[in-house]
Amino acid sequence: MNRYEFLYKLDKALTGFSDQEKKEIVHYYEELIMDARDSGDTEEAFINRLGSVETIVRTIRKDGSFVTNVKEKKDFQLRKVFDITAKLVGYSIYILFVITVGSVAFGFCASGVSLLFAAAVGFIRDSVAEPTIATQVMYAGGMVLGGGLFLGGVWGFKWIFNTAKAFIEKSLEFADKWIKKIGENK
Amino acid sequence: MDAQLKKGFLELLVLASLKSAASYGYKIIQDVSGIIDISESTLYPILKRLEQQEFVATYTEEYNSRLRRYYRITPAGIAKLRECRTDFEETKKIYDYILSEGGR
Repeated sequence: MNRYEFLYKLDKALTGFSDQEKKEIVHYYEELIMDARDSGDTEEAFINRLGSVETIVRTIRKDGSFVTNVKEKKDFQLRKVFDITAKLVGYSIYILFVITVGSVAFGFCASGVSLLFAAAVGFIRDSVAEPTIATQVMYAGGMVLGGGLFLGGVWGFKWIFNTAKAFIEKSLEFADKWIKKIGENK
Repeated sequence: MDAQLKKGFLELLVLASLKSAASYGYKIIQDVSGIIDISESTLYPILKRLEQQEFVATYTEEYNSRLRRYYRITPAGIAKLRECRTDFEETKKIYDYILSEGGR
């Protein structure tokens, strides 16, 4: 196995690690291989000596959880409670914010559409009856304003959608981590 | 050696290997493996931990037109090594007792 194959396999095996951690670990091994080569080892032989990718990842994982366990044992309970409280407060504020933005966006959309519709109807009726420049401009302005309001509302919804997507992705990642952690402790 | 005991020693040995000069992964293993059995995959978490505890600081430097990560000991790391002196006295007492006839 050459180093590209090895590093690729390593990268794939490092599930559950953050991208930053993954990058660091892969770089660490790449550097080791290069240094081994520079001091006269062959790439292949050194990679063989490193052992299987699975064992490597297991060692890092095991040691990693050992570290956090020991380090956080002291105020683990307290921190857990604090963590959960902070998260709950954060989520409640977030949800309130989303509801507010959502209602405002809905208001914008609804009023925008109705204004657009009313102005359009007015414009057409006015055109058929006795159009003057003043009324035509007024109705046209109403239509533009309605369209603008509607687009503003759509923009708000888009924002909610985007943050919600990031939020859901984050929660999924969090859940994934917990499931892995529980699996390891068993 | 007992795994827990070894773990503690490994950390200190890696730290001690940086006392005279900053070093990098491959060289640290070369330096320390003469004294204790250490593998590449055990070193990584140790370095990570030492970094988190701010006993070592890292920087990257170009070597042979590639980047190499260097680890250098911090003042906190040096202080940590100094603690070993008192630890040694205590550990010595403990081992003397264990290896004697049980304090008689």
